[in-house]
Amino acid sequence: MELFDHLALGFATALSLQNLALCFAGVLVGTLIGVLPGIGPIATIAMLLPLTFKVDPTGALIMLAGIYYGAQYGGSTSAILVNIPGEATSVVTVLDGHQMAKQGRAGIALGIAAIGSFIAGTIATFIIAALGQPLTRMAMLFGPAEYFSLMVLGLAFAIVLARGSVLKAVGMIVLGLLLSTVGTDLETGEERLTFGLVDLSDGIDFAVMAMGLFGFAEILRNLENPESRDVVKSAIGRLLPSKADLKRSLGPILRGTGLGALLGILPGNGAVLGPFASYTLEKRIAKDPSRFGRGAIEGVAGPESANNAGAQTAFIPLLTLGIPPNAVMALMMGAMTIHGVIPGPQVMTKNPSLFWGMVASMWIGNLLLLIINLPLVGLWVRFLKIPYRLLFPAILIFCCIGIYSINNNPADVMFTAFFGLAGYILYKFDFEPAPLLLGFVLGKLLEEKFRQALVISRGSFVTFVERPLSAGLLIAALIILVIAVLPMMRKEREEVFQE
Amino acid sequence: MQFGSFGGRIRSPQDAAAGVFLVAVAVIALWQGAGLAAGHLNQLGPGMLPRALAVLVGICGLALAVGSFFTAGKGLERWTLRGPVLILGAAVAFGLAVRPLGLAVAGPITMFLGAFASPETRWQESLVFSLVVTAFCVLLFKFMLGLPIPLAPWLLGY
Repeated sequence: MELFDHLALGFATALSLQNLALCFAGVLVGTLIGVLPGIGPIATIAMLLPLTFKVDPTGALIMLAGIYYGAQYGGSTSAILVNIPGEATSVVTVLDGHQMAKQGRAGIALGIAAIGSFIAGTIATFIIAALGQPLTRMAMLFGPAEYFSLMVLGLAFAIVLARGSVLKAVGMIVLGLLLSTVGTDLETGEERLTFGLVDLSDGIDFAVMAMGLFGFAEILRNLENPESRDVVKSAIGRLLPSKADLKRSLGPILRGTGLGALLGILPGNGAVLGPFASYTLEKRIAKDPSRFGRGAIEGVAGPESANNAGAQTAFIPLLTLGIPPNAVMALMMGAMTIHGVIPGPQVMTKNPSLFWGMVASMWIGNLLLLIINLPLVGLWVRFLKIPYRLLFPAILIFCCIGIYSINNNPADVMFTAFFGLAGYILYKFDFEPAPLLLGFVLGKLLEEKFRQALVISRGSFVTFVERPLSAGLLIAALIILVIAVLPMMRKEREEVFQE
Repeated sequence: MQFGSFGGRIRSPQDAAAGVFLVAVAVIALWQGAGLAAGHLNQLGPGMLPRALAVLVGICGLALAVGSFFTAGKGLERWTLRGPVLILGAAVAFGLAVRPLGLAVAGPITMFLGAFASPETRWQESLVFSLVVTAFCVLLFKFMLGLPIPLAPWLLGY
């Protein structure tokens, strides 16, 4: 089997001493930062990016991926131990996880979250390995027109899956697209929308924008809402769930994995929706739904598995097609570019050890999470007690050093401050920054492919509907958008997000 | 619910302000891109896409603003100055200080300045903490990871 040959190559790469150490370091540091309340995965990755600068690309990406799911898992830890979710995907975990903790079952909640995440991660790793090859082959058949239409479909999904007002989501995506046009025009070399600033002639740096909108703006937001941290006082209790607990959780874990894996591939809020969908499903099929919200273990096992599965399958579009499906993956793409790896189908063919090494490291990372988190829970609890008045200046300086180090350019720090202000304004107007970030990243690719397609077709727009694959993708995008605006669907959508 | 109450009151102040914000961004972009050639369909110019996108942003803003007359929504949030001014000011200070003064000086300045964004900060504690964290950052980023960030050029020359 070809698949197993690939995986063998991957494990050989990922199990080298250096890569194993990097994976371990990434998972550990990612969890450490992710545990701290009020720092999401995007800010965590952006902040820790400089840690990977001196490493070769394969090692750097393995470490970054480790930081990413470490941050995800850390978010769940703070969701269970404190009443505040570390990030959007663990919002649901708070409901039952924190209740379990209050009942003295914090250890079991953490244990089942780790076990569920591990099972989900294992299955997701196989899904990535299995889908990698065919999707890459398909991507090879794509011309610029198909790529363009695929990204339009992706943006349509991002609109439909966005939280809150559709109009605001559209506004943010279009604004992101607009910001992506800042800088030197690819064909004519003319400067566009740069306000005459030399530092903008290369365009807006992605990491600068992400750090401003997420890192800085998050600090500003947290400062305004003085948190009521409700760190669990009762004992953590034993970590390993009993047989009855495991039996009860197995179904939710597998269903959560399925839902999360499927939604994670979708662009936009997909990975965030997985846990919500899983929670709703478990509550609906439960014999006694009233247990939910009062410490039901299914309410932790399902969403946590969905969370982790989605976090991993989100890599599929990025690694095979070179299109990031959400803001976190957009940041991963930025990180790859810094290391000289252009995400896309050619990664797998030209650099197989990097591709399969990363896939294998995902499984190893999940195993490491399981091993290191169970004994370290006590440490995380102590971390959770650090007051925010000390935390945020430390985050601030880490962000500043990180941003400066990307290009060794002090102006980048100033631009980040600007985007921090922008993020604060957007927050005040109830705009979500994630669609903006996605629009920004896809914008550059979109314009490039759009113009390439038009050059090939000698300026004829018919090319986008003439080519069957491209036409199909555009029609799908249209259908999705129409469904999103239909009044009936809108109502249902609101209900889903209410839960 | 009464339709056509156009001269009436804004029922969703937050959406109205959000709409005005998007329109303002669109206008700035159109003004900045005014000098760029739009080109024609066979040969798109550099100005075509920015202009089209700016118009779309403006339309979204208008729709939000107009909609705020018809559907009730949230009021405007309270804005504070202390957080944004101090945090972002501290970041700007870092940008200004890191080259001439180096991390050893810019670090404590940034942290100490930023710390006052929170009313809970006590200055002695925060001063000590700034120095400790900066020392940690110097060790980690400068010596362990070897990043080329200036340490104290006025004293050490690097």
